[in-house]
Amino acid sequence: MSFAVGDAAPEWVMAAVSAERMRTMAAILRDPNPLHWDRNAVDSLPLGLGKRAINQGPLGLSYMINMLHAWTGPDSVRRIVMRFPQVVLDGERVVARGEITLLREDNGVPLADCRIWLEHAERGILLEGTAAVILPL
Amino acid sequence: MTEKSIPTEDEITQLTGHRFPGGNYTIAHWENFLLTECTGAALLPGGRVHPIALFHLPIVGAGTSIAEMFALGRAESNLSIAIESYDWEMFAPLREEIRYKVTGGITSAQRCENAEGQVYDRIQFCFEVHAPKETLAARTTITWHFTRNML
Repeated sequence: MSFAVGDAAPEWVMAAVSAERMRTMAAILRDPNPLHWDRNAVDSLPLGLGKRAINQGPLGLSYMINMLHAWTGPDSVRRIVMRFPQVVLDGERVVARGEITLLREDNGVPLADCRIWLEHAERGILLEGTAAVILPL
Repeated sequence: MTEKSIPTEDEITQLTGHRFPGGNYTIAHWENFLLTECTGAALLPGGRVHPIALFHLPIVGAGTSIAEMFALGRAESNLSIAIESYDWEMFAPLREEIRYKVTGGITSAQRCENAEGQVYDRIQFCFEVHAPKETLAARTTITWHFTRNML
């Protein structure tokens, strides 16, 4: 398997972000923020989002990790840095994408630095960041 | 809208250096199963834990909670926190049923102002997760904005 700067990671699709999964996450995380489990709380904010729960940040981040795992293996992710310019809402179809920006070595381990992002067809980039992954030999 | 009182800048900056008690955390199989299912992925092979655990494992393992972190920054409400970034460094895969030792604290706390002149407080929490024999398995940095009078 060979890699080059500019190569794209195979996209990873979440066909419909699930409010039920957000509720499970909130319970495990003991997350008191009602934006993740109470659609009325979201509707009450002056954001115009309507009655839709907001996905937890770590869940959106996990879609990037799933994309990277499918591409370079389950032990490959060394670092991931994620920013959250827009919220992800229940019911949305989102696509995790990435591309290699730099190839390097760390103590003989081949690494790729990548730009990664989560995309929505109408709203554009919802999450964006960088990742470093170990490349399979 | 009624103006809410906000902590002083000194009260915020003095949070820098705050340490959580520290402690241990073990990810059980059921927990990894449910977490992984929430991500939409299949369970990872060989008892590996999905890295999504790097959000709550450090927080709970360090002896704190999301609610306490909100309270430390004097959050106006559970709705007033905005995420700036999450930075997760992984030095070894996490595994189910391993007892990880966790330390953590606040590494930065500062008053800021956005482009519209609205005040918010930027607080950065950092945690380290050690596997048995003190091997550093992961480091996570959470940076949140505690918005003030924006809702």
